[in-house]
Amino acid sequence: MSALLEVKGLTKRFGGLTAVNDVSFDVHEKEILSVIGPNGAGKSTLFKLISSFLPSSSGEVLFKGQRISNLAPHIVARKGVVRTFQETTIFKSMSVRDNVIISHHLRSQASLAGYFLGTKTALADEEEFGRSADEIVEFLNLGEIRNELASNLPQGHLRALGIAIGLATNPSVLLMDEPFAGMNHDETMRTVELVRGVRDRGVTVLLVEHDMPAVMKISDRIVVINFGEKIAEGIPSEIQENEKVIEAYLGSEDDEIGM
Amino acid sequence: MMLKRNQIIGVGFFLFVIFVAVPWLIHVSGRWDFYYTLTSVALLSIASGGVWLTFYIGRINIGQGAFALTGGYVAAILVVKYDVSFWLTIPIAGLFCAAVAVIIGLPILRLRGVYFAMITLVLTEVARLTALALPITNGAKGISSIPLPGELSILGLTLIPDFSTVANVKLAFYYLAAVLMVLCFAGLYRLVNSRIGHLCRSLQQNEELASSIGVNTAYLRVIAFAISSFLGGVSGAIFMAISRSIYPASFPVKDSVDFMLNCFLGGLGYVFGPMLGTFMIYFGWDVLFTTGKYQLLIYSAILILLILTLPNGVLSLRIFNKRGTAK
Amino acid sequence: MEQIIANGLYLGAQYALIALGLTLIFALMNVLNFAHGQMYVIGGFVTYTVYAQLELPFVVALFASAITLAVVGALIEKFLFRPVIKKSVREESTMLLAAGIAFFLDAVILLVFGEKQRGVPKIVNGLFNYDNYTLVMPYDKILVGFLAILSITTFILYMQYSKTGRAMRALAQDKIAAQLMGVNVERYSMIGFALGAMLAGVVGGLLVSITGVNLGMGGPTSIKAFMMVMIGGAGVISGAIAGGFILGMMESVGLTVLAAYGDITYLAIFISLMIFLAFRPQGLMGKPWG
Ligand SMILES: Nc1ncnc2c1ncn2[C@@H]1O[C@H](COP(=O)(O)OP(=O)(O)O)[C@@H](O)[C@H]1O
Ligand SMILES: [Mg+2]
Repeated sequence: MSALLEVKGLTKRFGGLTAVNDVSFDVHEKEILSVIGPNGAGKSTLFKLISSFLPSSSGEVLFKGQRISNLAPHIVARKGVVRTFQETTIFKSMSVRDNVIISHHLRSQASLAGYFLGTKTALADEEEFGRSADEIVEFLNLGEIRNELASNLPQGHLRALGIAIGLATNPSVLLMDEPFAGMNHDETMRTVELVRGVRDRGVTVLLVEHDMPAVMKISDRIVVINFGEKIAEGIPSEIQENEKVIEAYLGSEDDEIGM
Repeated sequence: MMLKRNQIIGVGFFLFVIFVAVPWLIHVSGRWDFYYTLTSVALLSIASGGVWLTFYIGRINIGQGAFALTGGYVAAILVVKYDVSFWLTIPIAGLFCAAVAVIIGLPILRLRGVYFAMITLVLTEVARLTALALPITNGAKGISSIPLPGELSILGLTLIPDFSTVANVKLAFYYLAAVLMVLCFAGLYRLVNSRIGHLCRSLQQNEELASSIGVNTAYLRVIAFAISSFLGGVSGAIFMAISRSIYPASFPVKDSVDFMLNCFLGGLGYVFGPMLGTFMIYFGWDVLFTTGKYQLLIYSAILILLILTLPNGVLSLRIFNKRGTAK
Repeated sequence: MEQIIANGLYLGAQYALIALGLTLIFALMNVLNFAHGQMYVIGGFVTYTVYAQLELPFVVALFASAITLAVVGALIEKFLFRPVIKKSVREESTMLLAAGIAFFLDAVILLVFGEKQRGVPKIVNGLFNYDNYTLVMPYDKILVGFLAILSITTFILYMQYSKTGRAMRALAQDKIAAQLMGVNVERYSMIGFALGAMLAGVVGGLLVSITGVNLGMGGPTSIKAFMMVMIGGAGVISGAIAGGFILGMMESVGLTVLAAYGDITYLAIFISLMIFLAFRPQGLMGKPWG
């Protein structure tokens, strides 16, 4: 298996605080890799570094061998590394379907002027986006509410919409920040299935999470960080038995373990 | 562009009103002064339409006065000092303003919310002070006695006659302004209802998410701001031609604020909002002229009452919403 | 040189006081108060009326300005901003309202006080002359500057140590958290608005003794206040003070250094502000967003 995404010595300092410290790991094609760690470990920061929403202090991220760190977020997205948001971020005053349609932006063939003039390419784009959006919406079980205003959706559907938005960009790698946060057991299990489905479409998934049972269930491999440093890496069963990991999690509040 | 049947009827009726009914009514009633009022409304709504577009990408623009002033000066200088045909100066003024907007917009469009609003307000002052300071703009004296627009002809075919020879200059300017207004709003309507409008709304609602789905937000913002400023410049150029003069105080801060008010009052979610808003504000102000020294008091009181009762714009009223436009 | 610094400090003290009011209102309610300059002008006219026409002591006039504006501010918040903030779907509506109020206050000033420039008799006579004209400052300017600094200090102490001040700071920091802690949002928004308006009134009252007052001063004063707030960072008290003094200093330096090139001080200030904001959009002390 070749590395699709390589994280090399990534470091982020906020003033005196080193939130991410010399973290390296590889993400292989079509796997689900989870980064876990207790609250404040630096997961979200790592996540933003990979998606280029934050500049790194040192180190780099390579995608298919090309450096993608410190580029503008939309350029990273264009290359195929797309993030979803931890805070259920969506386009609030658009319908579910419109949310997904607009997110096909990267697949546009026509130029802005083309859209204005309504050229053939533009019309073909619009048709293709509509069709693809309907497919994605169905895939994430949002079909019945496709015309609802996004701001009216309940939590669970919002998370699914977030994933739909990510999928619409046709990513190679989809980064998800805590897709299971705030969900009960059933919702979590349903979302686990969705994420698996996403991978089965050929998308590599890198997710950041602290819901341990979900992570154990879903991940092909796991990277554990604590205080900004990588302390372990391996398949779920290895991680479960790793001394350092148990220590890190026992050291924090009980509910974080979730087991 | 696919229009529904009642939309076609609506547009046809609107065109009939502004190009046939209004001139006829004015002719019958002899109220020639209305031409000036309506011409101003048309030009101001073009400038407001631009401001509206910046609102549409989620920026509060109180700087349109700066671009109207710039456009006016560019046209005036070209006509007076370089003997360029007025008709050519209209697009040049617009493009010049768009270019300035790109240069200024790159840094300042990173600002959001109140910050952007304040910096654009400051921009209006910058434009005024620049006009005062530069030698080419002739300082506080401004540029006056500008000739009327000449003839526009292509290959010997006269498209627009020399304005100094037409029987009724007021009517000529009215037609000019009305045609441009129709073009401007048709363009905006098309823009907003195409995928570009969809992209603009995505910026308005969440810039971070927009960039994470690959939208080049900075680029789109600059484009919208440039279009806005283009419209400001065009309207300023024509205003200059009508008043045949331009001064640093021709478009003061009050105008920039008014452009913003026009958009608000009409409703920020509706393409034709700025047109309606401009019409109401300008006419309201004119009608109140008879109240003498109470004009500003009554005007502002009505404005405040309107905001209190319709904080989301006049077009947010139910009757309009049924056949809502942009949304 | 000393002269430039002294002028800058004097101007800066006035400006800081204006910016403080504006930033307070912004911090509490997320409202950009377009009418701030008009409130300042009303303050000036009230002091003019009480001090020059009714011939009461200057201090009484200042208090009259402060109280008038506090009442005006409270009423505006309660009957105008509060309902609009509740009803509107977009926060920008408050900006429209603020603009409407600015026009309205302009109209009121026009009807009540007229459009003439008004000045008052000097509050103190004489000239402070240091080192044979290297530094000259009329005593009234010194007094006004001193009073402005006194007001700023009082304001800071009030915000820091009084119960009301602490509640307002909590509200400014995090509205929802403050609400959960039991801070009465409506009440403190009103007090904050009144306080902000009052500060504008006090500066108006102070400055009428030096520069006089007229109807046209409102708009430009608002713009200056916006600039100071942008320099320092919107909604930050220390930023408003810094912004005020920086603008005062720049104006003072500019008027001397750039005098040879005509009236371009403000052009230069505006342009440097735009360049500054391009690099530091949140101002000197503002919180970065996103
Ligand atoms: N923008 C920032 N500025 C300063 N410190 C930050 C910033 N973002 C995160 N941090 C700090 O970095 C550390 C890691 O945070 P984060 O990446 O959010 O952890 P996690 O997502 O694992 O809970 C925390 O101590 C946090 O306070
Ligand atoms: Mg986190």
